[in-house]
Amino acid sequence: MRRNHMVWIFPVGLLLAFFLDGSVSQIFSQQLLQYPYNLISHLVVLWLVLATLFEDNRNLHLVVWAAIIGGIFDLYYTSIFGVYVFIFPLVVFTTRALNNYLQPNFLSGLLIYFIDITLVESLGYVAANAVHLTSTSGTDFLVFTLGPTLALNLALYVILYFPIRWLFYKYD
Amino acid sequence: MHKFFSNRRLVMVIVCIIVAFSLMTLSVTVRNKRSTPLFIQQFGNDIVGLADRAVTIPLNGLSHGVGALSDLQNTYQENQQLKEQVADLAQTKVRDQTLAKENKELKQELKLNQTLTDYSLVTASVMTRSPSSWQQQIIINKGSSSGIKKNMAVMSGSGVVGRVSEVNQTNSKVELITDNNDSSNRFAIQITTNSGKVVNGIITGFNSANNQITMGNVTTKATIKKGDKVVTSGLGGVMPKGLFVGKVAKVTGADYGLSTKVYITPAAPVNDLNVVTVALTDK
Repeated sequence: MRRNHMVWIFPVGLLLAFFLDGSVSQIFSQQLLQYPYNLISHLVVLWLVLATLFEDNRNLHLVVWAAIIGGIFDLYYTSIFGVYVFIFPLVVFTTRALNNYLQPNFLSGLLIYFIDITLVESLGYVAANAVHLTSTSGTDFLVFTLGPTLALNLALYVILYFPIRWLFYKYD
Repeated sequence: MHKFFSNRRLVMVIVCIIVAFSLMTLSVTVRNKRSTPLFIQQFGNDIVGLADRAVTIPLNGLSHGVGALSDLQNTYQENQQLKEQVADLAQTKVRDQTLAKENKELKQELKLNQTLTDYSLVTASVMTRSPSSWQQQIIINKGSSSGIKKNMAVMSGSGVVGRVSEVNQTNSKVELITDNNDSSNRFAIQITTNSGKVVNGIITGFNSANNQITMGNVTTKATIKKGDKVVTSGLGGVMPKGLFVGKVAKVTGADYGLSTKVYITPAAPVNDLNVVTVALTDK
């Protein structure tokens, strides 16, 4: 019985996180995208990572969902297909791999999330550079994009970790 | 500890990378074609856009409410300034109407059906923005069913803020002028100098350090001064003539000293868009 709930709560939450990412960028564009800083919220990644951490034998088909939401992300937001459709499943794989070596708790989750965001942003940068969407130098990327984005997303992690854990445990 | 990169996994990774890069290259190459997006992508985007409204409408409404509250504090001062401007505007508007009427009559006599300045406006509200560091893109809630086509000019309040880069049935993507990517289409613009000379050119980039548009490769002898007005020239593409882009801020020599580079302060702020207008042309 309990498995049924999460099977639909997870995709709905994923879609919600997906739409919220865009809305956050739109509503706070004056604060978040102020030159020279680029702060991007990655709520989709947060939801995926926390779902992987709290999945707990529930078999939510995370990789499949990650690929689906990545595909929608590419088509709807960036219209460059083939970037996030591969990065999001990779996030799930990485989280699973790291989770094997760490005691699952708030701090280790923070560490894993740190690595995942770095992965997402760096691969996104490599992809954008490859197709000439940007000509930002590596150091500028580190200082003005990766650093601030990490700060924003780790803050979001700290705020949302316990509510999301509560949600997953409630339907356990 | 198991071997992380077994042979099979390594092959998988390499295949994924190759597929990813080919898909990316393909998307970039077909992006600027008139026929894109494909029907299936359009359909998907329409569905996602519809679902997105459930999130964006309440959130945008909330943020407008908060914005309205803070605006209220500046209202009195603004009112004073605006009153002065309104008196001036009324006169300009009447004159504008007369001229437009005269223009229409003259065109009829000359049997000119379409000229570069003919366009109608469609207002659209901004739904969401791409959460990406590398693309300055917003998504608006009107699409081809409202007559929007690719590469049309998008304005906000006083000036041009971008161009339509992808059209679906009920929503479309707008690439802002602050987007600096290599493959974006460039605006054709012109500067009218004090002496009445017209300098044509294109927007070559955006300098985010000082928030200015750059117009490179200008080889004219005419002297461009600070404060000269910049408008779209209507040459090439589906952009009408005479949309306000901004004012000249600075004129410098280009990197190799062969041409001039003009810095333009955009007329409309691009980082706080709620409602935009799309200029529809019949071309």
